[in-house]
Amino acid sequence: MAFDFKFPDVGEGIHEGELVEWLVKEGDVVKADQAIANVETDKAVVEIPCPKAGTVLKLHAKVGDTIKVGEVLVTIGSAGEKYAGPAAAPAVTPPAAQAKAPTATVSKAQPTAPSSMARGGTPAVPGAPKVAAYSADASAAAFEPMQVPSQVLAMPHTRQLARELGVDIKRVPGTGPAGRITDEDVKRFAGGGGSVSPQAGAAAAGGMALPAFEKASWLATGEEERVALKGLRKKIAENMSRSNWMVPTAVQFDEVDVSELVEAREKEKARAERQGVKLTYLAFIAKAVAHALKEFPYVNASLDEGKQEIVLKKYYNVGIAVDTPDGLMVPVVKDADQKSILEIAKEISEKAALARERKIALGDLRGGTFTITNIGSVGGIGGIAVVNYPEVAILALGTIRKLPRVVEDRILLRHVMNVSLSFDHRVVDGALAARFVNEVKKHLEDPYAMLLEVI
Amino acid sequence: MVMGELAEQFDVAVLGAGPGGYVAAIRAAQLGKHVVVIDPAGIQGLGGVCLHAGCIPSKAIIYASTVASTLENAMALGFDVGKGCGKGAVDLKKLQEWKNNVVRKLDTGIAGLFTQLGVETITGKAFFQSSNRVGIEGEKASIHAVEFKKCIIATGGSPISLPGLAFDGSTVLSSAEALDLDFAPEEFVVVGGGYIGVELGTAFQRFGSRVTLIEFGERILPGLDPDLVAVVEQRIRAAGVKIVTKAKATGVEKKGKKLVVQVETANGKLEVSADKVLVAVGRKTDARALKLENTRVQLDEKGLIKVDAQGRTTDSSIFAVGDITPGPALAHKAYRQGKVAAEALAGLKSAFDNRCVPLVVFSSPELAVAGLGEAEARQKGRSVVVGKFPYSASGRALSVNRSEGFVKVVGDAKTHELLGVSIVGVQASNLISEASLAIECGALLEDVAHTIHPHPTLSEMIAEACEDALGECTHLPFKKGGKK
Repeated sequence: MAFDFKFPDVGEGIHEGELVEWLVKEGDVVKADQAIANVETDKAVVEIPCPKAGTVLKLHAKVGDTIKVGEVLVTIGSAGEKYAGPAAAPAVTPPAAQAKAPTATVSKAQPTAPSSMARGGTPAVPGAPKVAAYSADASAAAFEPMQVPSQVLAMPHTRQLARELGVDIKRVPGTGPAGRITDEDVKRFAGGGGSVSPQAGAAAAGGMALPAFEKASWLATGEEERVALKGLRKKIAENMSRSNWMVPTAVQFDEVDVSELVEAREKEKARAERQGVKLTYLAFIAKAVAHALKEFPYVNASLDEGKQEIVLKKYYNVGIAVDTPDGLMVPVVKDADQKSILEIAKEISEKAALARERKIALGDLRGGTFTITNIGSVGGIGGIAVVNYPEVAILALGTIRKLPRVVEDRILLRHVMNVSLSFDHRVVDGALAARFVNEVKKHLEDPYAMLLEVI
Repeated sequence: MVMGELAEQFDVAVLGAGPGGYVAAIRAAQLGKHVVVIDPAGIQGLGGVCLHAGCIPSKAIIYASTVASTLENAMALGFDVGKGCGKGAVDLKKLQEWKNNVVRKLDTGIAGLFTQLGVETITGKAFFQSSNRVGIEGEKASIHAVEFKKCIIATGGSPISLPGLAFDGSTVLSSAEALDLDFAPEEFVVVGGGYIGVELGTAFQRFGSRVTLIEFGERILPGLDPDLVAVVEQRIRAAGVKIVTKAKATGVEKKGKKLVVQVETANGKLEVSADKVLVAVGRKTDARALKLENTRVQLDEKGLIKVDAQGRTTDSSIFAVGDITPGPALAHKAYRQGKVAAEALAGLKSAFDNRCVPLVVFSSPELAVAGLGEAEARQKGRSVVVGKFPYSASGRALSVNRSEGFVKVVGDAKTHELLGVSIVGVQASNLISEASLAIECGALLEDVAHTIHPHPTLSEMIAEACEDALGECTHLPFKKGGKK
C-alpha cells in the first residue's frame, strides 16, 4: 500500500517552505529516517527525513516549488509497485436523501425551501482557532470548512485586513460597539505576535495602532533588477520593521579597555586549540554578558504588552548574530551562564558554521534572551544595532584596535573596543543601561576576576 | 472519445457556466489567468440555470404578471384599462419573445466579457481523470481533455423529480420548462410550495390559469417566519390560488385531454384536474458524475463538496463553488464564492466569510430576509429585542396603494447588534440590501435608526422598525416602558 508522505510541521510557526533540493529520485530505495529533501523555511534549510522505508514512487514537487505543511511531498511504496495516482477520496456518500426520491417526505427534499436556510445553514461549531488560516493549504489536516454565515463581528474590510496580516480574526478581541472587531484591534493583535495575548491594553497605555504607510514609489532612470523578498530576507525585513515600530530604542556607548582580555586569550589560545576549540573574544564577551544579565534582570526581559507585564527571565540565552550568505541569522547559546568559556566558544563556532550552511536546527535559533552582534569583526569602530524584539537589549561590538590611552597619567598603547547597547526604553532606562554596560566592561577589563566570580 | 489523447493546457478550468462559474472565470481572467469554461451548453450556457431557466426569466415572467396587478391597481385608482387584467388579457407568445430577448441580451453581455478577457469555452461534460486533468464528453466538444493548474467546480444542480411524476417535458414540467410556456394552462397544478412554486404559481394565476398549489408541509414557504408567510398566503389565496397543505402528490395520469394528479392528504385521497403540472420540490446535485474518485476531493454527508472559506476542496488544486458546496443554493452566494475562489487561486487572500446571505422570494407581495429570523435568533440562545413597522403606517406605501406587509428587525437585547431583518411587502427585494449591508458591517440598531432615510420612501420603514426595537419609534403609538 503506497504511503503519501506529507510535508511535516518542521517547527512551530512554519507553514511552508521552498524545495531546495531532492536527495532522492523516483525509484530509489529509501531507509526510514533517511533524508530525502532539503527545504528552506524562513528560518533555515531543513533536511526532511522520510518516516518510512520503501521505494520512492513519486516526487510531488519540483525544486523551487513552495510546499505547504500537509501537502504530499513524496509517495513511498514497495519495490516494483507503480504509482497509482493520488489516494482515492474516502467512501463517497450518495448525494443525500434528496436524490433518492422523497417517498418519505416531500418537504425534506426541498433544498430550494428558503431560510438559512435551504440546506443546513447551521454553522459548524468553530474548532480550535488556527493561526493564519488563509496561508495554509487545505490539506486534510489543516482543512477548515467554510461557514455560512460567518460569525465574526467585523466589517468586510477588517476581515480582509486580518487575512492580509495573517491574523486569525476569530482570536481577535473586539473593542468596538457590541464587541465589533476594528482595524485597530486586528493591527494591535498582529503587532503583538499573534499567540501572545491580544494587546487590548496597549492602546489604552499609549495607542499603538500602526499608521497606514504609503508604499514606496520612485522614478526609474536606469536598469533595475527585482529580487523577490522571500525566505530569510523576508523574515529579517519583518522582524526589523516590527522591532523598529514596537520598540522605543535608546543607545548607550562606551569604550572598553580589553588589553588584559587580549593577553588572557593569547595565553589560553594554544591550550584551547589542543582541545580543538578556537578561543574567540566573542566567547569571553558572551560569558561576561551572561554574568552581567544575572545582576540586571530588567535587561534579560521582555514586555508582554497584552498583559501589561514585564517578564523577567531566569534563564540566560545569548544570541550571536551571524553573517550568512543569505543574510543575518542569530543562533542561540542556551544557558550561557552555566557554560564555561571554552564550551561557549565551541558552541558558537559550531552553530555559526551550521547557520552559514543553513543547516541549523530551528530550536537553535529560538529562545534567545539577549543578543550580541560582533559587527567589528567585519569592520568599523562600532555601530548601532536594532533590538532583537521581544528581547529588550542588544550589544554591538566594534573592532579591537591598538590606541594610545591614558593609564594612571601615562600614555600607553592599549587594546580598546567600542561597544554600544541598544535598549528598549520602555523597560530599561538610560541609567540602568549604563550600569549594565559598566558591569560588562568591568568583567572584560579584568577577565581573571570574572573567572573567579563565575559558576 | 479517446483517452490519453493530447490535452490542451490552461491555468484554470472552470466546470459550469452558471453564476458561480462564469464569475470565477471572469475574475480569474482579470487576474491574468488563461481560463477555459466547460459547460454542457457551451457558449449558449453562459449564465447557467440562473440566466436561462431560473432567476432572470422567472423575474421577467413575474414582472409581467405584476403588470396585471398594476392594472388592477390602476382600476382602483380610476383608470379605464379596457380589457383589464383578466383571462386572456396577455399574449404569452409575445411575452416569451420579450423574455427571451432579455435573456439573450444578458448572455451576449457575458460572452462579450469572455471575448475581451480571452476566456475560452468548450461544449461538453467534464469529468476528472486526475487532480490536474479533466476529460470532456459531448459531440460538440472541440477538445476531449484539458490539463489545468487549478480547477473550479461550479456544476450546480438540477431539479428533483418525484416518483410517479417524472418530468416529461410536455405535461409534467420542471421550472425551466414552465418558464417557456407560451400560453396559460387552464388548470395548472404546482407541486411544491417552496419559493419557485409560489412565484410561478402566482404568476400563472395572474395570467389567467386556475392554480392549485400542493405542499407537503404545514404551510407554504416552509422554513420562513410564519408571520411573514401569512401575508403572502393571504394575498395569493385572495388572487384565487388554491393551496393544499400537508399533501403529497403521488402520481399523474391522462384522462382524455386532461391530466389528473393524485394527491394524498390527511383527510384521504384527492384527485386534482390539470392541463399542466409543475413539479418544483427542490434541486439536487450530483457530484459523483464528476468522477471525483480520481482526485482527492471529498464530499460531506450530504453529498456536497467540502470546501474551506476560500472555496478550496480537500484537493489543493481543485476549488468548488455554488450549489454543489454547502450553504444555501442561491445565485448570489455562488457569485461571491466564484469571485473568492478565483482570487484565492491567484494567490490573493480572499475568503467567503460573509455574515449574511440574503434571501428573496419574488412572491406577491415580495418577501426578503437578511440575517436571523426571530425564532432562529432565540434558538441560538440570543436574548433578542424585536421591532416591527407595518407598511400601513408608511406614507409611501399608502401612496402607492400597497399597504400589506411589514418590516421586522431582530437585535441583540443587550448589545443592540442588528441580527436580522425580515420584510414582507411590496419592493422587499430591493429594500433588503440595506439590511444586508448593515449586518455585514456589524451595525447596531442605533446605526440604522440614526441614519437619515429619505422621505417619503419605503426604506424609512427599516429605520422605523429599528427605532421600534429601541422603544423610540416616532410613527407608532408610544409603548409603555419605551425609551424617553
